[in-house]
Amino acid sequence: MLWPLTLVLLTTTALAAEPAAAPSPSASSDAAPPAAAGGAAANGTRSLDEQIQTLKKDVVDLNKDLFVLEEELLFPANTQVAVFVSMDVGDFFALDSINLKIDNRDVSNFLYTPRDVTALLKGGVQRLYVGNIKSGEHELVAIFNGKGPHDRDYRRAANVRFEKGVGAKYLELKITDHQRAQQPEFEIKDWE
Amino acid sequence: MPLVHASSRPLGLALCVLFGAYAATAAAATAVTGAAIARPLPDFTLPAVAGSNVRLSEYLGQPVVLSFWSSRCSLCAAQLKALDRYYDTYRSSGLVVLGISVEDDPQRALDYAHAHKTSFPMLLDRGKIVSRALDIDRLPTTVLIDRGGTVRYLHGDDNPSDPSYVAQIRALLDDRLIAP
Repeated sequence: MLWPLTLVLLTTTALAAEPAAAPSPSASSDAAPPAAAGGAAANGTRSLDEQIQTLKKDVVDLNKDLFVLEEELLFPANTQVAVFVSMDVGDFFALDSINLKIDNRDVSNFLYTPRDVTALLKGGVQRLYVGNIKSGEHELVAIFNGKGPHDRDYRRAANVRFEKGVGAKYLELKITDHQRAQQPEFEIKDWE
Repeated sequence: MPLVHASSRPLGLALCVLFGAYAATAAAATAVTGAAIARPLPDFTLPAVAGSNVRLSEYLGQPVVLSFWSSRCSLCAAQLKALDRYYDTYRSSGLVVLGISVEDDPQRALDYAHAHKTSFPMLLDRGKIVSRALDIDRLPTTVLIDRGGTVRYLHGDDNPSDPSYVAQIRALLDDRLIAP
């Protein structure tokens, strides 16, 4: 939605930077000795590199600001619900996919690759879903598919009823190992 | 008379050149057609017949060949076999080949994949997300994607031994991704 705005801003920034980056015709003097000319060229290149780096940093900052703005516009706090996934150890469960339902409506079906699972096992937290819901009581159901103990197909569901208030609602799907039962555990945590 | 003859010679030459250009374009169009050409393919994640799920974006930086197949397609087996040979030759250079089923019946797709084993992953596109994104209307169809994730060649032909495959795969492997 904000891409046209981003493009316009980037073009403006790039155009604004262009005159400074372009070498001035008067700078290349015919009478200058070769060594001095080489030094000037090196300085010019360094200056250009610095300008490029500054421009890149500006673009990254701008992108970050626009991302935040986009999030605030698309998912205002009074309707926002976000679901995160975290995984601990993972000896008893190899995650394959998560199917997410809110109020019996499919909102997300995510397939995990080995790289995703590795990132989760390293402590990464994935934002699986962000959306809008009305204030009031809701139910979230998460269906976890994968390989359980002894490499068997494993499918488990976890659900939670939660109250959506005026602030943003954050829910976390936690996959942990239950060492005593030698089974995975699925928990949904409601972050107030 | 000689005047007329002299003036018709350049015209004939021009016609020959024009016809040659048209023929070359037509020949290229058989291998390179479709609205998806020169566009980045939207990312997808699909389950594999055996092993883990596969996401296209994880192969960014490597050339990728997608081959669409179905158990009802009589030429798909030969196509998959030919691609398996190319994969065997070029996998060490970074080539990725993915077979994608467009079968309606998942069990038939599984049976077919088990009957036609390949060394590259065979994926199941139950929702036909990828084939719809590429607007595929015939089988077998093979799509060659460059290191940047852009569709470069699309073969909707029925000749798995087409020598242009090797040339195009080598061209994709020779490409170097320009660092941003």
